[in-house]
Amino acid sequence: MVLEALEREGVEYIFGYPGGANLPLYQHLPEHPKLKHILVRHEQGAAHMADGYARACGKPGVVFATSGPGALNLVTGLCTAYMDSVPMIAITGQVNSTQVGRDAFQESDVIGATSSVTKHSYLVTKIDQLPRVIHEAFHIATTGRPGPVLIDICKDVQQAEAERVTPEYLELPGYRLNGHVNLDQAREAARALAGAERPVILAGHGVLLSRAESELMALAEAAAAPVGTTLLGIGAFPVKHPLSLHMTGFMGTGWCLKAVQNADVLMMVGMRVDDRVTAKLSEFAPNVKTFIHVDIDEAEMGKNVRSHIELVADARLALEAMLPHIGKVDAGRAEWLGQIDRWREEHPLRYRQSNGRLQPQDVLIDMYRRAKSEAIVVADVGQNQIWAALWWNYDRPGLFINSGGSGTMGFALPAALGAKFGRPDLPVWCVAGEGGFVMTAQELSVAVEHQLDVKIVLLNNFSLGMVRQFQDDFYGGVRSQVDLTHMPDFVKLCEAYGLPALRVEKFEDIAPSFDAAERTKGPFLIDFRIDPEANVYPIVPLGKGLNEFREAPEYA
Amino acid sequence: MLESKLIPAPPSGSARHLPMNGEEPIPSRVRILSVLVEDGQNTLTKVSGVLRRRGFHVRGISVGPSRQPGRSRITLQIDHGHAEADQVRKQLERLVEVLEVEDLTGDAVHNRELVVARVAASELEALLKLGAKVLSTGAGGTAVEFSGDAAQVAQFVSELTRHGIADVVRSGPVVMRRTA
Repeated sequence: MVLEALEREGVEYIFGYPGGANLPLYQHLPEHPKLKHILVRHEQGAAHMADGYARACGKPGVVFATSGPGALNLVTGLCTAYMDSVPMIAITGQVNSTQVGRDAFQESDVIGATSSVTKHSYLVTKIDQLPRVIHEAFHIATTGRPGPVLIDICKDVQQAEAERVTPEYLELPGYRLNGHVNLDQAREAARALAGAERPVILAGHGVLLSRAESELMALAEAAAAPVGTTLLGIGAFPVKHPLSLHMTGFMGTGWCLKAVQNADVLMMVGMRVDDRVTAKLSEFAPNVKTFIHVDIDEAEMGKNVRSHIELVADARLALEAMLPHIGKVDAGRAEWLGQIDRWREEHPLRYRQSNGRLQPQDVLIDMYRRAKSEAIVVADVGQNQIWAALWWNYDRPGLFINSGGSGTMGFALPAALGAKFGRPDLPVWCVAGEGGFVMTAQELSVAVEHQLDVKIVLLNNFSLGMVRQFQDDFYGGVRSQVDLTHMPDFVKLCEAYGLPALRVEKFEDIAPSFDAAERTKGPFLIDFRIDPEANVYPIVPLGKGLNEFREAPEYA
Repeated sequence: MLESKLIPAPPSGSARHLPMNGEEPIPSRVRILSVLVEDGQNTLTKVSGVLRRRGFHVRGISVGPSRQPGRSRITLQIDHGHAEADQVRKQLERLVEVLEVEDLTGDAVHNRELVVARVAASELEALLKLGAKVLSTGAGGTAVEFSGDAAQVAQFVSELTRHGIADVVRSGPVVMRRTA
């Protein structure tokens, strides 16, 4: 019955792992050839794969896991999806309904363990609940602010026979969808933006989720307002556009941070305004007279920043409603935009190119040259993530995938594999540090088994680079437990898994190694031995305001 | 023979947080919310989970069936801590199980709490004067009940303390707007 319901919801892939409490589902799986099951090597991998799949193709990712350890291994992956508003359905097996609460074998309170990392969850103890629950789960996961929904199904329910019922309606009186736009507020917001002397728009993941990129562009151009994006909002506005501020936040570009700190009207669209965006809250955007916040989740309003105009609405509808009211933009905007151009020149992104060591930025610039804004890049967490975010001029949405809110190391490889399942038509590049990579490296088997054409760019500095950088700069220079000298030989590791790999230590070898990767069908890994002292810049010291960002030194 | 024990304050539970003799009144960070929820195995867990996770503190709670079958009303007194006051309502409303949240803070309300106490027969008269009702009488003492708003209940409990009581239990608040 579960499998039929999944077919009905249009599910194509299931990422999962069988075990005692979901055996009935697996018994009947072969009867449903439309459901393609991907056997992962660890449940966390399944969750990240489903996440990457969902982010790449927009459909909810589906995960199967058994009870107890199986379900608990999903928790990190659920949290990753929850923090970044990714639609996902996790179906976990639970012990027989008569055994719940008796500490049965592989029993755990999965609802309790996952409540804080799911948008909603169900424990199904009776067969007649099942069709409604599955239908509701897909509705909840994919509408409003998307998120993961978990369905914990007792084993006896999986085995029970019942009449086949197609749920025809939803019974969700407590589920509110804040789609509509308050038109008065939209007009007010538009006037504030148009009347500003120094406006700035910041765009988050919500812009991508509601496909509001063209509305954002139209509004920004009409209001002559520069646009920065959050880490997860990358792609919402083309970086090469004259109004682009590139990325904001505590590792954002200097010119974006200067713009935010000097703005008089700041509009934040489809974002949570979290601490990585604001840095020290009391010093965030101190010159703003009018904050405008657009988000579909009412609870984001005033959670961190109290806005003067709060538009609880779908980003696309809100921007659309604002556009006709922009009207004539006040003169004097040229001065503001000119100032931003000067900041752009004064605070360029730069890196050391002269010490004879392999620089991660050189690697990424070559990779992106090949990706040509037509490939999906999935980054892990840490320095690699920020380098991948900053060192390319993303000009289209949906091409950069990473774990922003949760910051889950080990995300990139399984998410990249999931992205490839979701968008087999696009090249997929996986960028990871060696620390995060080994956390989920077992999923290389999945890449090999399905001959997934995913190219893995390992930025290997033999240390936990971001932590090392923080220790160097903010924790008294004490390098503590960041040394990763003892790592596998990644070329041999790949050989053991059955995929080709290369090691690169010199600048001249970057291009030939990428040539080799591109010539090869199927998965390929390049172990780039990068400069272990390479750092992420700009960076705002922890606990400081955005205006205190530190830049890369001017290398000779 | 009844051995009356002096209990300076109710031992635990929500009553501990209500204004008692010598205690400070409820600070303004406390919101009074009336929450209509769908009955379910996980509803209370999820409501309390959200409150805990968001750094809110439950000072009083009572749950009972609502007029609609399958739905219950939870009355909450919540200290919203460092968060903005309205966050409590917004966070609760995100739960699918929550149908409606009404913020009654500062409104004209009927705010009733219930006390049941077992007292020595000799102390009965004074308590009856305060408005207590006898529930039962027996060898173990007399059980009385008293209901009132938070201040009246606090006063009644301090009176009990003065007289010596064997046992006392207090409910959480039940709150309704005076006018619709």
